[in-house]
Amino acid sequence: MFPWVYGFTWDAGSIVFLGAFFTVLAVLVATLMKATLRAVNDVKLERTECIRWKSDFHDLPAAAKKCRHEFTGEFAHRTCDNNFDCRDCATHAKLMSEHPLVVPENAEDVVYGFTMPLDRMYHRGHTWVRREEDGSFTIGLDDFASRLIGVPEQIELPPAGTRLRVNGTAWNVKKQGAAVRILSPVEGEVIEAGDPQRGWFLRVKPLEEKPNLRNLLRGAEIRPWMLREMERFQGLLATEGAGIALADGGVPVNDFSKAYPRADWDTVMGEMLLEP
Amino acid sequence: MDKQYIIRGVQRSSFRKFIAWMIPWAGLLIFGVYAIYLCLAKGLNQTNMDNRFAFGVWIFLDLTVIALGAGAFFTGFLLYILKKKELHAVINSAVVIGFICYSGAVGVLMVDVGQPLRAWFTFWHPNVHSMLTEVTFCITCYLTVLAIEYVPVILKNRKLREIPSMLVFEHELHKLVFVLAAVGTFLSFFHQGSLGGLYGVLRGRPFAFREGIAIWPSTFFLFILSAAAVGPSFILLTTWLVSKISKKRLVKKNVLMLLGKISGALLIVYVLLKTIDTLVWINSTSPAVGFPAYEFYSRKPFGTWILFTEIVVFGLLPALVLLSGRMRAHVGLLVTAAAFACTGVALNRFVMTIQTLALPTLPFDPFLSYMPSWQEVGAFLAVIAYGVLVYSLSFRYLVLFPQERELSNG
Repeated sequence: MFPWVYGFTWDAGSIVFLGAFFTVLAVLVATLMKATLRAVNDVKLERTECIRWKSDFHDLPAAAKKCRHEFTGEFAHRTCDNNFDCRDCATHAKLMSEHPLVVPENAEDVVYGFTMPLDRMYHRGHTWVRREEDGSFTIGLDDFASRLIGVPEQIELPPAGTRLRVNGTAWNVKKQGAAVRILSPVEGEVIEAGDPQRGWFLRVKPLEEKPNLRNLLRGAEIRPWMLREMERFQGLLATEGAGIALADGGVPVNDFSKAYPRADWDTVMGEMLLEP
Repeated sequence: MDKQYIIRGVQRSSFRKFIAWMIPWAGLLIFGVYAIYLCLAKGLNQTNMDNRFAFGVWIFLDLTVIALGAGAFFTGFLLYILKKKELHAVINSAVVIGFICYSGAVGVLMVDVGQPLRAWFTFWHPNVHSMLTEVTFCITCYLTVLAIEYVPVILKNRKLREIPSMLVFEHELHKLVFVLAAVGTFLSFFHQGSLGGLYGVLRGRPFAFREGIAIWPSTFFLFILSAAAVGPSFILLTTWLVSKISKKRLVKKNVLMLLGKISGALLIVYVLLKTIDTLVWINSTSPAVGFPAYEFYSRKPFGTWILFTEIVVFGLLPALVLLSGRMRAHVGLLVTAAAFACTGVALNRFVMTIQTLALPTLPFDPFLSYMPSWQEVGAFLAVIAYGVLVYSLSFRYLVLFPQERELSNG
């Protein structure tokens, strides 16, 4: 194998064969080293949350990855290929400049019995964001997610000073043994933690004076988005065998999983809150 | 009990049912490990092989699983190099199957060598002019590639990906998987070829000896082509089998049909070249060394029927079915054709190993017969049991079929 090992000869066969072998070994070692170094770098630069979201988004079913402009009828079919980050999406920027959203007249909209106040913006993972007078953001769960989670067994809120990233983990909840993370709609530093009784969960100080919030849904987009979400929800419940659901009439209960304990809420919550 | 380890959105049997499925296979593995222990502790006298019949059921098993395991490299090549995106639906399963096949083959080779503690000699003092040396190097290297490719599949496990370092390493390694696919293709090309080549260069065995191009006999190329042809068929077959056993839809039908189409296209080329090779061998190569080819088929049970069965029944027939769009659309025919193609390659490896050694080559040589001992069969079964156990665990806790969740949700 090596020149100093018994039996080695400097002939063409040895050079070609062992040359190919050592090249393959070198490629394998280099590949592993590169992956390891990149991974170490990712951890150092705190890219873990971004990678987790990319991986989760990739694994989401096609129905959960619809472009927001499909809801408003601007596209017949369009799947988001930008990880729900419209801040970098050229198509979104172009469409918004061509057709600015109509400012709603009502203070709130009620979709299938879910109250959606229109003074705030919504994230696709069912959180809302409201800008306060002091420039901070208040983050909470929308009416649908509140009823989906109901009374959780455990809530893990981040302590003050934690840095949140768009589509990264904002906080974690546990319900019926299923752990699910709630996605952060904005980037910023946590300044205060709330709780369900206060109607909000986090107060966040943005990192920039004028943060880019183009990734969030607002105004006239809310209703069509919620209608699609209900379709997805009913589809999941039908699969999970929950029995009679919204499509059969009635109004939403306060705690879905308590009302239908037999359904696989781990799967339903994971899909609806975008953690497949 | 183990629900938190199973990916979201897919249904798996209860933990108790899963254990009940695993116990018989674990029992078979224990039996096989005992047989292996006897072979290693007491020596190769535990087998029915001898100096004349040095290749038996183990080499047949090695050649067959390596040919069938070619689905891993070929699927990787089609997906990452030729960008056949549809095959993303089966690539993880193909990697696991490839890993099982190659690790099983290497394990049995260690027993077959008889002195596994000296296995490193072949690396340290390689005979670079030997086909077998090339096979040894390529198989161990490719097993390493498969093990590395298996890592991201394992790290996708629901619990493991909660660990940040595992998540980012999986992400970064997955981005470089095309390099592994390319290396795997290079290695597979040579070891599949050299496995065929090592028979083709046997001048003292006119049944196996073939002419070729430069240092490579025709069997070198036929083994590569046959492995690439049946690899996708084996992936198709295992996917269908797992789907039936688990009672789940795992991939869309178009994926199975694409695998069948690729397999059929390669198989028809293989059948054509194999036919030409056989005709050249019958009319030229064999008579030139003083053996009319019909003599090879005059000793029962190895009649001409075996040649017909290998080329026509398990070669041409499945190739035609897999090439026909209408017949491919019928799942029953598709799966049967894939099974025939896999059987064909197994029969080819059986003929090349067992028939080659059974036939006399000198006037005073007897026609040999060989039946494996229970220890040989035990080691053979250990590989099967090991494969089922590893695949079952992977299927339960890892994402082998990314389309399954979407298909199960209607």
